[in-house]
Amino acid sequence: MILVIAEQQGGTLNKATWETIAAAQQAGGPVTVAVLGAETAAAAAEVAAAEVAEVLRVESPALAPYTLDGFVTALAAVIATEQPGDVFLPHTYQTRDFAPALAVKAGRALVTDCVAARQADGRRLFVRPVFQGRLLADVACDGPALATFQIGAVRADTLVRGAAPAPVRTIAAAIDAGAIRQKPEAPFREAKHAVDLSQAERIVAVGRGIKEQEKVALAQQLAAAMGAELGASRPICDAGWLPMDRQIGSSGQTVAPKMYLALGISGAIQHLVGMKGARTIVAINKDPEAPIFEVADYGVVGDLFEIVPAIIKELQG
Amino acid sequence: MHPTETWIFRILVLGFAGAFAAQVWTRARLILRAPNNIVVADDETGRRLLRFISEVVFQSRTIAERPAVGFAHLGVYWGFSAFALYTGVEFLAGLGVADVTGSRWFHLYELALVPFAVAVIAGIAGLLVRRAIVRPAALGDHVSGESVLIGFFILTLMVTFLLGFRWETGLAARVNWWVHALVILGFLVLIPDSKHFHLVLSPLTVYLRSPGLATVPNLDFEREQVGLETLADVERKQVLDAFTCVECGRCQVNCPAHGTGKALNPKRLILENEEALLAGRFDAKLADVFDAKVLWQCTTCGACEAQCPVGVEHLPLIIGARRGLASNGEAPDALAAVYNHLERRGNIWGLGADLRQKFIQSAGVEIFDAVRHEYLVWLGCAGAFEADFQKSLRALFDILRATGVTFGVLAKERCTGDIAKRTGNEYQFQELARANLDDFAAAGVTKILTSCPHCLRTLDVDYRAFGFQAQVVHSAVLVADLTRTMAVPGAGPVTFHDPCYLGRYAGVTAEPRELLARFGATVREPDRHGANPFCCGAGGGLLFEEHEEGRRISQERFEQLQRTGAPTIVTSCPFCSIMLKGAQASANTQVEFVDLVSFVDARMKCAAPAATARP
Repeated sequence: MILVIAEQQGGTLNKATWETIAAAQQAGGPVTVAVLGAETAAAAAEVAAAEVAEVLRVESPALAPYTLDGFVTALAAVIATEQPGDVFLPHTYQTRDFAPALAVKAGRALVTDCVAARQADGRRLFVRPVFQGRLLADVACDGPALATFQIGAVRADTLVRGAAPAPVRTIAAAIDAGAIRQKPEAPFREAKHAVDLSQAERIVAVGRGIKEQEKVALAQQLAAAMGAELGASRPICDAGWLPMDRQIGSSGQTVAPKMYLALGISGAIQHLVGMKGARTIVAINKDPEAPIFEVADYGVVGDLFEIVPAIIKELQG
Repeated sequence: MHPTETWIFRILVLGFAGAFAAQVWTRARLILRAPNNIVVADDETGRRLLRFISEVVFQSRTIAERPAVGFAHLGVYWGFSAFALYTGVEFLAGLGVADVTGSRWFHLYELALVPFAVAVIAGIAGLLVRRAIVRPAALGDHVSGESVLIGFFILTLMVTFLLGFRWETGLAARVNWWVHALVILGFLVLIPDSKHFHLVLSPLTVYLRSPGLATVPNLDFEREQVGLETLADVERKQVLDAFTCVECGRCQVNCPAHGTGKALNPKRLILENEEALLAGRFDAKLADVFDAKVLWQCTTCGACEAQCPVGVEHLPLIIGARRGLASNGEAPDALAAVYNHLERRGNIWGLGADLRQKFIQSAGVEIFDAVRHEYLVWLGCAGAFEADFQKSLRALFDILRATGVTFGVLAKERCTGDIAKRTGNEYQFQELARANLDDFAAAGVTKILTSCPHCLRTLDVDYRAFGFQAQVVHSAVLVADLTRTMAVPGAGPVTFHDPCYLGRYAGVTAEPRELLARFGATVREPDRHGANPFCCGAGGGLLFEEHEEGRRISQERFEQLQRTGAPTIVTSCPFCSIMLKGAQASANTQVEFVDLVSFVDARMKCAAPAATARP
């Protein structure tokens, strides 16, 4: 039996739960889903729609809000009594917090960030990326293990739904609230950057080569023509020509667009580390020795005041 | 002396000496309860004694930065020392223990003291005028009333001494004697609770000061050491330092953070330590004693410690407190990313090893082989990834080839751990160091050449604690040696920015200037240069903290260099180069930057293009 640990907050299921149930279904064998919380009826009913053997409502007032100690105590007890085979979890922030402690308490191996589970030679192999995703490793464990699944690795729409809702069983978790060491405070969301460049698909970034504040408008036009966000290197933001939240680099934002167009940016390393994740880097700079050309996929040595208007014209024409 | 006088004097001496002793005992207890970190290796005694003679007896550090004040102080200090026996004899006589004041030798001694008294009067008058009227910023916002009072006490002592020659007997002589004696007693009780406690402690702190700058011994994790968390963890030398501080403000005026409007003031740091110790706040977290913000504003440039005339060591306190914070996960966010990069990729920027590989291949460098190569060239993070610094390394390779020096590089390197060490992530530092040391041992390395002053410091000083034996040399020193017979005139004016970790830490100041001179440049020095340069702002992990309070240190230094009027700035540290070029970009001015080794290489090639052409 594979035990899937669902994740819910205030009765709302984390969507990654569906992906993890789908991964368990595809791995073969009966699937049991555990939903933890103080009040889990709604979430359990929702999960019961999937083609699973059973849904466990693991309840205790001490399970809301989430605490590491509470979850580890409850789940270790569930694992001890239900004796599941492998335990599948979504690779969420919450899981990352408690799974290592649970693995230790349950005396099981923990395989994190898996993208798939498959059978080979009669044993289950967990597939996880290594070397920044350049290779995939098959991980085999001695005995039943814990495995967390990367979000988006298994598509939720491959989930098999059941003909009838699965049976639901309630387990009262015995947790000594006084023994919980974590004292959570009310959740809050930190103020984000006014401009979030990290999600931009295309970025036009300006550096000192733009020379004057008035010329920043030229880069703005290019960005508009390309449907790109405007970014800058430190000197531009230092000078106040663009606001600080458009700064890219080690002290600004880290970006990974599909295309990064660097205008008059020399490519100081403090800037490079903020944009090295870009898929395609295009650099326009007068100085052929500029370090930006070391990382650029396409480089144009020339005057940006000639080149940029030509590109804008081409894009608009 | 009348018997009643003797009895009054005995009671007074008992009372004042008792008050003095009580105050000293309060401080002695605090010094003794602190964890002992004082280590004096047997083979250091000679060097320490020489330092003692130079800095205590001849006041070399006091004079070095402020010659006028320093000589005035020297006069007062020597005067005080000369008067010690006189005061002792007079007191013994006053107490009715033994009276040799009438002897011939004592009269001769008194006559010999006259020039000293004059020196003290001249010195203290000058110092009083400076403190009360000139009021330099280094001494703080307020005129210390106590210091002025003590100044007048000292004047009174000398004047009454001289008046003693005029009034040898009679009422005037008695009054004069009593004024002198009472001033000494008054002075005595003012000493422990004021900056004048340095009279007692500074000979000790100067002797006990670590031989090198910023000496922060490795933490022993087996003994669960995590750095300084609370005031109770502050170690013995640091407690001594707190009571010794003479509040002269040399650290403050030399501190680049203070000089650019940041909250950090090294002098205040030491005084806050003293205040908290006397208040007995042993459970207070150091982040509350000092304000955590200032602990992370230090570039570890070492200017404070290197200037201190009484042997105060600021950096062990700052880095020690950082270790306590880092151990509790309280390092600033900018550093968390760096630690992550160091852990995952072994370099400060988190870049892939393939970039380093690409550079090694394109530069045509061999992998180090102890049989064929004399030097291991250590690239460092900047050498592996920073395009500008790689140009300097290519130049270095060309010079080595041209002069017939064999060398290779390691197939793989990790950061030496400089940033980890300076920012208090001791565990990461030791992990990186051990892994690198294993690689050095496996490769059979005996000589290491590096162009990065931070790598130099870490390899040549910090790694010694692990028993590391290899010779480590900075490229400026080796290149100066290799090109000793060469000279290429006619390069024009330049200015040289001494990196703190080369000029101040390693004491390498002559070689870069010798190279620049031999290869035709005239060096225009900024005010702060040589062994006391002004930091670029990158050290101590601040390379990654670009949101500075006040003005940017790099901007300030760039302007100082510009004021020399030289069209070219020569650097010899990758971090200085990054910071100053950044400052230039923000200032939007055209100044040429060139690395020292690149400069030499270009000059060599312009003199003999064929001989030094790249292979």
